[in-house]
Amino acid sequence: MVQFESIWLQVSALVAKAERPSRYINHEWGSVYKPEADFRFCMIYPDTYELGQANQALRILVNAVNAREGMVAERGFLPAPDMCDALREAGLPLFSIESCAPLAAFDAIGITLPHELAATNVLEALDLGGLPLHADERAEDDPIVVAGGPCAFNPEPYAPFFDAINIGEGEESLPEGLEVIRRLRKAGASRREIWRALAKLDGWYAPSLYRWRDRDEAQRAGSWIEPLEDGLPTYIEKRLYKGFATSSAWEPCIVPFTEAVHDRLNVEVLRGCARGCRFCQAGMMYRPVRERSADNIVDSVLKGLAETGYDEVSLTSLSTTDHSQIAEILQRLNEACAGTGVRVSIPSQRLDSFGVDMASLVAGQKKGGLTFAPEAGTQRLRDVINKNVTEDDLFGAIDAAFSAGWRRCKLYFMIGLPTETDDDIKGIARLVQQAYDHARAVVPKEQRGSIQISASVALFVPKAQTPFQWDGQIPPDEALRRVNLLRHSVKYRAVSINWHDPKTSFVEAVMSRGGREVAALVESAWRRGARFDAWTECFDEDAWRSAADDLAFDVEGAAQTGYPTDYVMPWDHIGCGATTRWLARERQRAEEGATTPDCTFENCSACGVCMRLGADNELAKERVAGARASGDARADGVGRAGDSND
Amino acid sequence: MTDPRLFRLRSVFIERDRLAMLSHLEVAHTLERVVRRAGLPFAVSQGFSPHMKIAFGAALPVGIGSTCELFDLQMTRYIAPTKALAALQAASVPDLMVQECFYIEPSAKAASVAFPFSTYEVRFDAPVVAIDVPESITVVRKRKEKVLEVGQFLARPFEFDGDRATFTLEAKPTGSLRPDVLLEHCGIDAGVVSVTRIAQAENMQE
Repeated sequence: MVQFESIWLQVSALVAKAERPSRYINHEWGSVYKPEADFRFCMIYPDTYELGQANQALRILVNAVNAREGMVAERGFLPAPDMCDALREAGLPLFSIESCAPLAAFDAIGITLPHELAATNVLEALDLGGLPLHADERAEDDPIVVAGGPCAFNPEPYAPFFDAINIGEGEESLPEGLEVIRRLRKAGASRREIWRALAKLDGWYAPSLYRWRDRDEAQRAGSWIEPLEDGLPTYIEKRLYKGFATSSAWEPCIVPFTEAVHDRLNVEVLRGCARGCRFCQAGMMYRPVRERSADNIVDSVLKGLAETGYDEVSLTSLSTTDHSQIAEILQRLNEACAGTGVRVSIPSQRLDSFGVDMASLVAGQKKGGLTFAPEAGTQRLRDVINKNVTEDDLFGAIDAAFSAGWRRCKLYFMIGLPTETDDDIKGIARLVQQAYDHARAVVPKEQRGSIQISASVALFVPKAQTPFQWDGQIPPDEALRRVNLLRHSVKYRAVSINWHDPKTSFVEAVMSRGGREVAALVESAWRRGARFDAWTECFDEDAWRSAADDLAFDVEGAAQTGYPTDYVMPWDHIGCGATTRWLARERQRAEEGATTPDCTFENCSACGVCMRLGADNELAKERVAGARASGDARADGVGRAGDSND
Repeated sequence: MTDPRLFRLRSVFIERDRLAMLSHLEVAHTLERVVRRAGLPFAVSQGFSPHMKIAFGAALPVGIGSTCELFDLQMTRYIAPTKALAALQAASVPDLMVQECFYIEPSAKAASVAFPFSTYEVRFDAPVVAIDVPESITVVRKRKEKVLEVGQFLARPFEFDGDRATFTLEAKPTGSLRPDVLLEHCGIDAGVVSVTRIAQAENMQE
């Protein structure tokens, strides 16, 4: 058993020489210490401090665990590459921030899985922590290693690495799971007994207790997993935190020294989005929609600003301007913060449900750039993806924004969406040019030179638990052809097209859609040096390619194969609330170009979430449909939390 | 509103132990948040991007601690220095702690340029009696090599006291010599445990 003691003395010599020492030094305002705790949990974000410190899951879960008597949650981050190497060279392990204790000295470790490109970092963290990578190779007194987060909705590529995986919202289920571990550990239970107990807890999956079937067997059986023991669930439904809407929006947070991403007060105003964009995993995963009240939010923001000293607050959610009381909230906050230099921002603005008047309230006097996300170039394709945005919405927003003083606008599009044709690609060029014409028409002649309209194009990555989960990704050559077609279709010199060659897209697609067999690929790629795959300068394509060659793993097939909607996907035993039947029906409606309404404004589309989870949309007030259906707009530099793929 | 320049509060703070590893920018951000948490009536600049009217003293190199760092805050009304100090202390972490507050004249020189002479204390891991100070040190700044004549910067030479030594460096408008860089280039038999700025002065007579 590794001793729980600070290794700061040894680590500090390395920290002094590291790039950005402040990543490792702890002592920030708001850090929590509970030396008296008898159960110690380390919550890890599998990337560096400045990326992980702002992570909402980390903040929420550390608070939730610390609220339990006798339990402490400390933070852990993967050191930057220079420090990972320095620690290895010095024979020192990955350490927690608060106690600077070795990872292996904790009773349990939680790793959040924020996106598809963090898998090799999970292995890097475990290895640097001195832990065996595979759950079934860990010793009885090694920490229990659990995971959660967005990528847990297809847990199989990570299955061998975790003792248990928490599906859905962890506010209640993580502390519950840790209580089980604590109780059984005290009673001297084996790891396997702990797996078994966790597997029987709602929202928990212990992959080692299930055999992975091969493809034919899985299709015949209707599931890829087979329990190895009696009494285990064969379907794991996500957990929902039903107290969200009424819980305080002020969540005590740590104020970092170093500049982290989203380094501001983040107040979650609502959870869930029922717009129903068919490519969007977050939109499926966080249903139903739950709003906190204006009183709760305003009080929480003011308390949070006073306690943290931040000069900016972001009202976060997947779709903040959909909040039924957003106008009231912003007006009250602007009044309360007047003259203090505090900026109130929102990460994603749907100008339709909102209007530019309010957007200017949000951004104050500073008008950087706006970002809209029409996602597709033609109405046909926007209907296919259920974006519910029309050209008129976009042009209306452009007219309003450029009249109000904005001069820069970025438009987000995806290419490679299901059913996309060359006409849709040319449609992007047409739409962007028309947007430019609209901007030009409302901007005074002498200022027209400062108009900047650009389009950012990303490759569609099919996501598990969405209506497009059965669709394949287009091959890289075809992606390039379509981008070139787009480039050649744009005739205006003033309009720029941004496209980053997505070398990592195949990894994202494989991680997103693969089954348990992907775990070997991840491990092999990591053994060949892959880590920090999300960092352009660190992504090692050769490591992944040679790992695939070695394992005869068909990467292209895994990323690009499309399936009929009756094909059982490798995450079919994991439930996000929405039924597979509904996802398949949405896929069918996509084929027909039929849109589906947002149930917080219009009729229920029977996705199944409320019925299955015994919940309902919780709105602070009735949402008014009004002029809904327009593009997302994000005020540049104001915030972009939550815009994963939507 | 009364002219906020009339309420120019200078605060002296320490930076010690592991927080000596913070960069100047990180310290600046942290102090702005300390002021906000303390609830002091700070002045806010007008215009395009309103921000707190706060100014910081001369930058301390990363890794060097201090007992005498400064920041100046413009406030919109008078707060008794003892009250301001108590509020700032309650909003600070122990290793980056405000120690003293007092008002300075509106016309006083900015903290960043008012005190060019910095005295440092070095702690070694063994007693040291003498060291070999080089005549010049070549440093790389913005990818260009620059030769610094140590004599122009070393305003008071090393004085030894067991495992400690003190020395004073002068910051010039054209540039300065970092204390850690100077120590790296001195032939010393012992290892450096810590370097701390212990005084900032307007001139050597102080």
